[in-house]
Amino acid sequence: MTEAIRKTFCRDGAQDFELNLASIIDCFTVLITFMLASASFISIGILDAGITAGGTVLKESVSPEVILTIELKNSQTILIKTQGKKNHSDEIVYEKLSQSLLELKSHWPNLSSATLIAENQIEYQDVVKTMDQIRKIIPAVMLGGF
Amino acid sequence: MLRRRVRKKEEMSLQITSMADIFIIILVFLLKSYATGMVNINPSAGIKLPETQASELAVDALKVEISKNGVQIEGNSVISLKDYTFSGNQIQNNGSSLELASAFEKERKKQILIAKNNENVKLDPRLILIADQKIPYSTIKTVLASAALNGYTDFKLAVVHGD
Repeated sequence: MTEAIRKTFCRDGAQDFELNLASIIDCFTVLITFMLASASFISIGILDAGITAGGTVLKESVSPEVILTIELKNSQTILIKTQGKKNHSDEIVYEKLSQSLLELKSHWPNLSSATLIAENQIEYQDVVKTMDQIRKIIPAVMLGGF
Repeated sequence: MLRRRVRKKEEMSLQITSMADIFIIILVFLLKSYATGMVNINPSAGIKLPETQASELAVDALKVEISKNGVQIEGNSVISLKDYTFSGNQIQNNGSSLELASAFEKERKKQILIAKNNENVKLDPRLILIADQKIPYSTIKTVLASAALNGYTDFKLAVVHGD
């Protein structure tokens, strides 16, 4: 301890001194109040969903072996359609979606995109939920139907 | 009597060191969870975003919000809805809405003007859709069709990261 500090804090020769924390606490209280007021505790993210049609710019692309279309029905079922080298359609329940997609993926390993369509009354939450489920197996999911 | 006098002379000092410790921990936690990104998505009151298990980080793009009563583009009300849906005369044959399409066109023209004057700015086809989870797909289709007609073809859906 330098002589100046010793003189300042230890005038009576005592070795320990007490830091005045009251002002620091005041600052912390103001900071915490401000941050609590402005903080958001939900994490908002983004799901990528290009569309299959629309826009003014055409892009050159190589046609895939099969085109996969998944359609959400009002009857709580899902219609899976493949077009291209194999034309097939199958109506399943939501619980079997992953299994069906895995089977398709095993047949067509290059299958990397799907188009998701929904009937008019289907709620947005169900569309997003299904999209989330499909993305686990097929990375690119596009919204379609318009 | 003597005891009482002695007690009065004792000074009560509050131990605030531990309180300062607690405040530091709270402050560190809040600073860590504080969103410092440039992109700010603030859904209006009453909008409940859909939940997903996986999502990407938010990007900066044109924000379109669909609520129970209307559609907003960049915070400006464009068209009103009746219980999440468009009325029949608001939708054209191609599935888009005339009012919405003209609002998107206005935004696009702004972008084109900026891009013309600044070489570093390119036309951005991205659009962030902030929509309530109860909205029917028909409404979503109309909004997206109107946007796609004006060059907004890269859609980003704003979602809440659920557990």
